[in-house]
Amino acid sequence: MASQQGSTAAPSVNGLAYPITDHTFDVVVVGAGGAGLRATVGCAQAGLRTACISKVFPTRSHTVAAQGGISASLGNMGADDWRWHMYDTVKGSDWLGDQDSIEYLCRNAPAAVYELEHWGVPFSRTEEGKIYQRPFGGMTTDFGKGIAQRTCAAADRTGHAILHTLYGQALRNATEFFIEYFAIDLIMDEEGRCRGVVALKMDDGTIHRFRSHLVILATGGYGRAYFSATSAHTCTGDGNAMVLRAGLPLQDMEFVQFHPTGIYGAGCLITEGSRGEGGYLTNSEGERFMERYAPSAKDLASRDVVSRAMTMEIRGGRGVGKNKDHIYLHLDHLDPKILAERLPGISESAKIFAGVDVTKEPIPVLPTVHYNMGGIPTNFHGEVLTKKDGDPDRVVPGLMAIGEAACVSVHGANRLGSNSLIDLVVFGRAAGLRAAELVTAGERHADLPKTSADLALSRLDGFRHASGGTATAELRMDMQRTMQNNCAVFRTGDVLEEGHTLIHKVAGGKDDIRVTDRSLIWNTDLLETLEFDNLIAQAVVTMDSALNRQESRGAHAREDFSARDDVNWMKHTLAWLDEKNAKVKIDYRPVHTYTMSNDIQYIEPKARVY
Amino acid sequence: MVQLNLPKNSRVGVGKVWPKPAGAKNLKEFRIYRYDPDGESNPRTDTYFVDRDDCGPMILDALLWIKNKIDPTLTFRRSCREGICGSCAMNIDGLNTLACTKGMDDVPGVVKIYPLPHMPVIKDLVPDLTNFYAQHASVEPWLHTSSPQPEAEWKQSHDDREKLDGLYECILCACCSTSCPSYWWNGDRYLGPAALLQAYRWLIDSRDEGTGERLDALEDPFRLYRCHTIMNCANTCPKGLNPAKAIAEIKKMMVSRQV
Amino acid sequence: MSDATSMKTPMKRVRGLGSAKTGTDHFWTQRLTAAATMLLALALVVVLVSTVGKDAVAARAVLAQPLVAVLLLLFIVSGIAHMRIGMQVIIEDYVHEEGAKVIALGLNTFFSATIAVVCLFAVLKLSFGG
Repeated sequence: MASQQGSTAAPSVNGLAYPITDHTFDVVVVGAGGAGLRATVGCAQAGLRTACISKVFPTRSHTVAAQGGISASLGNMGADDWRWHMYDTVKGSDWLGDQDSIEYLCRNAPAAVYELEHWGVPFSRTEEGKIYQRPFGGMTTDFGKGIAQRTCAAADRTGHAILHTLYGQALRNATEFFIEYFAIDLIMDEEGRCRGVVALKMDDGTIHRFRSHLVILATGGYGRAYFSATSAHTCTGDGNAMVLRAGLPLQDMEFVQFHPTGIYGAGCLITEGSRGEGGYLTNSEGERFMERYAPSAKDLASRDVVSRAMTMEIRGGRGVGKNKDHIYLHLDHLDPKILAERLPGISESAKIFAGVDVTKEPIPVLPTVHYNMGGIPTNFHGEVLTKKDGDPDRVVPGLMAIGEAACVSVHGANRLGSNSLIDLVVFGRAAGLRAAELVTAGERHADLPKTSADLALSRLDGFRHASGGTATAELRMDMQRTMQNNCAVFRTGDVLEEGHTLIHKVAGGKDDIRVTDRSLIWNTDLLETLEFDNLIAQAVVTMDSALNRQESRGAHAREDFSARDDVNWMKHTLAWLDEKNAKVKIDYRPVHTYTMSNDIQYIEPKARVY
Repeated sequence: MVQLNLPKNSRVGVGKVWPKPAGAKNLKEFRIYRYDPDGESNPRTDTYFVDRDDCGPMILDALLWIKNKIDPTLTFRRSCREGICGSCAMNIDGLNTLACTKGMDDVPGVVKIYPLPHMPVIKDLVPDLTNFYAQHASVEPWLHTSSPQPEAEWKQSHDDREKLDGLYECILCACCSTSCPSYWWNGDRYLGPAALLQAYRWLIDSRDEGTGERLDALEDPFRLYRCHTIMNCANTCPKGLNPAKAIAEIKKMMVSRQV
Repeated sequence: MSDATSMKTPMKRVRGLGSAKTGTDHFWTQRLTAAATMLLALALVVVLVSTVGKDAVAARAVLAQPLVAVLLLLFIVSGIAHMRIGMQVIIEDYVHEEGAKVIALGLNTFFSATIAVVCLFAVLKLSFGG
């Protein structure tokens, strides 16, 4: 590592000194998934000295598990227009998305996909040799009139194909990777500027302090706050939690997407593309019930709509299986050749995790936690925002966020399938462009505040020597059960109240946590504890934000407030966490009811019917 | 000569037998390689008993169960738990595979788990894959073009795209390379099946214009020609890919540009 | 990985001295000599079978026939070439110390050359000498 500037002993923490290795970069990107890699490549190409820190090897990031595709109005399969894509995204967001950001996303989507193709992504092809596009939930033509084929696919391994290609580009640009480094906390100065990040090198337990003009958080979602999630074990929202600890708010955390088709039991994802290719859901009576809930889009309605419909069917006693607690996804009527060409990955997953041959039997599925619409509030350049002195769009200098960690907000209250991969690359690219404007390569760095590593080290040291009565795994299980039971597809005031009490109790249990492994080399017991600490902060904020929002919008379905309330609730929730006093402070930001350009007018709210 | 025996400080001893979970009726026995880098002691195999009625069906479920309920110090990589990220590659019952897609019932009797063979071990089941990753990077895994880029996509026929199937799906889990005796003996100079599969994925991509340079870089008695078609790679690949075939295709390309 | 602890970058170690820009000839020759040796061996089996029951003089006469002698010469060249490059691969696989490897490869070549010349000489002597 050429960037090492020398080691100094840290100020003693709890009587122990941790050796610190210092690094100085123009930009530090935390996270090496789709967004992080795209931003890293962008910054490197702009001539900025860029480090990319990741707790897993880049191709192990959870982008790799994205299946169905990446949306962009290329029009390869029939007429398409970015405005139609924008309309669908706004409608999908249940009008909580910021329309300037959504315009930025949809306008830039085709160029972003072509760029990926030029870098080598092995997209499936049409007969004319163009990128193959498939139908996906909520994607329509002509402002809701027809079904669009907008989702560009590499069979059902699109995320894998994109992530590996982006990693290749990062190699090509000689990116400086810090792999298997666990970011602990941000370095913030007195003026509220982010000055870098402190990380733990997993293979030798040394502390690394990265000083930079800009930190870009691309740390993904926090699906593992729930018991059953399609998310990887590593999806613990570390960046979100770092932001909370830095005294900054998270936005719209109550909006948690349940993917309709997680494999029953295992929770593994079955892509929405399976319904895009003609698959459909049935209940115990063999009925294609989505026709009742979404007469025109049917099985290709938006994810929140399908998940609620499935939950209603199960509640109505029409679930399948021994306990009538799940639903069937049929692909057995499709041509085996099509399945082999376009859905090989999920055919394999269904075999391994459900023991099902998709050409002959239906797959048992259940709505499963999949995506966090909420996250770190940003503008469409990726700059992190906070509300300060009455200004709801105050930029936090030195800090950016992209990908699932961010809330731009393009997904609003509900994300459309295949809009997340495009979110990663469009805003990853945007962050790189913004970084090039904000930072001059090689610019002088001011000295770090003396206490720069204190927050991170005291946290690390505290957990490293934690010797309470409750193992991390027990607390984590309590948290996951609570979130699963009390903050699910349907929510009511009572259940959320109970959830609020329970989740704060779990958070209080942190004082009695026990870490068994005392080593500093690959101490996954310690890392899982740090991750639990990150998760529980977000779980608390999610529960309290959900309790607070008294309406139903997108993925947040309150049975006691079953209608959308644009008068009182057309606004983003901001939630700050005061960890010491276990208090969540809530405030609001207005939704941007304007577009980025004059090429399209603001899309007025109306009833959301599929 | 190549080292055929483990050095003294790497010989595996017998470790601790952890108590059986109380009240469990349906037990499965696991013997797992442990190595603690902090101490001076040799590696050992610890014995654990997993309550099948309280645990998911996969080997990874069992490892997580052990970590959560018996021994939090047990260390291994894991992430997606659905066979796509490639983190949890290890040697299970004598075969390199992914713990997350290998069913416990597929292993009769005691389940023996070791790290990927012939790699430096950092801790327990975590090997150091630095060299493996560098080998992958050395094949320049990105599209090489020099023609002016089109405004839209590079066109690729359906048939040409089909040639990438069975290649691009590689998850870099390292099961194949670490199962290859030739890679064991000459891993410093032989690129190994995973890197060569990746090399072929770009060689055969109809959009790539760097075929000649790629072949030049591989034309070497060690980098490519250490493959002796032992076929362990194809046998062990948890994604059902066939690196040996890809390597044979590279050799064919090498010959056909000469004759 | 011998110098894993050195300060060189992993890429420096992997690239090493670069591609030797050779290997295909070796690979191709090995395949060709394998095929040739196999076919020639079949022919020689026929020749050997035809000498069964003959006394030494008659057998020598068979081996001295021009066609048989040429087949024998080809077999020796092809077989020993194949043996040499096959052994070379085995040495490269298993002998890693630079000095020992160079010596082993040299001995392999000397041995093969000696055996080849001796065999060729024997056949030629049968054909021309008597």
